[in-house]
Amino acid sequence: MKCESCNVREATIHITKGSGLDKSEKFLCEQCANASFESDFSYPDDSFNIHQLLKSLSQQQSMHQQQGKQKECETCGSTIDTIVKNGKFGCPDCYTTFDRQVPEIIARVQAHQTEHIGKVPKKSRSQIKVKKQIETLKMKLSELIESQEFEEAAVIRDEIRELEKAGGMDGAE
Amino acid sequence: MAQNNVSPWIENAAEAPVEMSARIRLARNIRHIPFPHMVRDGDALDEVLEKLGAAFDEYQKVSMNMLKFEDKALLVEKHLISPLFTRQGLHSYINEEESVSIMVNEEDHIRIQTMGAGIPIQDLYREAEAIDESLEDVVDYAFDENFGYLTACPTNVGTGMRASIMLHLPALTLGRKIERLSGNLNRFGFTLRGIYGEGSVPLGQIYQLSNQLTLGQTEEEIIQNLDELKSQIIEEELEMRSRLQSEHLLEVKDSVHRSYGILKHAYKMSLKEAAKCLSDVKLGIDLGVLEQKNFKFQKWIQLIQPAFLKMRLNEQHKHYTSLEQAVDEERATLMRELSGGK
Repeated sequence: MKCESCNVREATIHITKGSGLDKSEKFLCEQCANASFESDFSYPDDSFNIHQLLKSLSQQQSMHQQQGKQKECETCGSTIDTIVKNGKFGCPDCYTTFDRQVPEIIARVQAHQTEHIGKVPKKSRSQIKVKKQIETLKMKLSELIESQEFEEAAVIRDEIRELEKAGGMDGAE
Repeated sequence: MAQNNVSPWIENAAEAPVEMSARIRLARNIRHIPFPHMVRDGDALDEVLEKLGAAFDEYQKVSMNMLKFEDKALLVEKHLISPLFTRQGLHSYINEEESVSIMVNEEDHIRIQTMGAGIPIQDLYREAEAIDESLEDVVDYAFDENFGYLTACPTNVGTGMRASIMLHLPALTLGRKIERLSGNLNRFGFTLRGIYGEGSVPLGQIYQLSNQLTLGQTEEEIIQNLDELKSQIIEEELEMRSRLQSEHLLEVKDSVHRSYGILKHAYKMSLKEAAKCLSDVKLGIDLGVLEQKNFKFQKWIQLIQPAFLKMRLNEQHKHYTSLEQAVDEERATLMRELSGGK
């Protein structure tokens, strides 16, 4: 027997849905059966209002198109178009590539929350700490320059350089 | 391959009124690698997979390309993998208790999931966090200072954490309170929905309470809020139950014992009917209008699912003309056996 869905491959799987009057039966090949799989099991973990996201994305897109060509992510090749189509970003770097649209998208699906205050990976913990240290030192540096304490300023400047080198600031995050 | 029985942690789960199992899921991705839906062959993850394999050598590695359709369906029914994972997943690492599952190449590169019953959800989080930290030693996570853990879908960004608790809410369902309740929960960034099946009354009147937002709160805050909401819902359910008992005792007794009769004596049973009967009996036991030792709601609700029953049919080498009829018959047979019928 041929698969009822594609009419090409041999039907190997018998799928029934519902019971009593609602009962429906299908004979499908494995591919088509797999494709119909999701509707058989509800897995509500990740359902979200995709329309909300798409709406915000397409609004952003039309704004963007007015300004010229479509931007493409260097890592995965995604454009706002493909992100809209998939309802997902293409890779972690998309968050940086589309940095103009991302905050708006996130704010919409996360009920206007925009900042992560939870767990930080061990590796980033030290990086973030170094970044904060550098910021503090830079403030101190400009204060010292203003009060013309150049000798001390030079020490601070070297400290900043040292931290920037050691912190592995590769600009990725 | 995982055993054909229910997971050990379900087998050993203590029965409690209302509260069932809980689950923590963390979504994690690797820096600079496209998300799974963008990669067709999974090559980019090869190196990562090797490292993961070494880190989880005490876990059972379950590879999707080695499994038959029925085996995958069984793992889905056990909540060890997701339907999406059956199509695009590569490997899942599962512990002996089957309470931990690490999926590689689900919607995100890595999904860490811990499940349990009768233990605080905080403990499940700590368990997931420990796995998370050991993974961190071997891979570089995609993390942004402002947006937190970066995920394929922006609905998971931030903590990447989904915390959920399963609740048996027959009285609130009967009193039509679920809709109002879930509307209220939505305003706090939480959702309440049926775990099995769709429609107004979910299978077995079992619901999943989970956080909708993953950003702007710490993991601990989300879990604490979830726990508080859970207690409130349980309280409302129990209040509704005592009203049922005082105002409609005869009706309650009647429907509980009818359902018990069906479980004990029927010869064919749809999933929907079996789930409803189990739910009624569970309520009857909780209310003290029916005594049934060895009744295990969580376990039996899993055993009546199609893939479990097909597995039983295969084990017995039974011949049948219609699979669906055979499954319905097997479901009734199993229920008769378990509830002490003939």
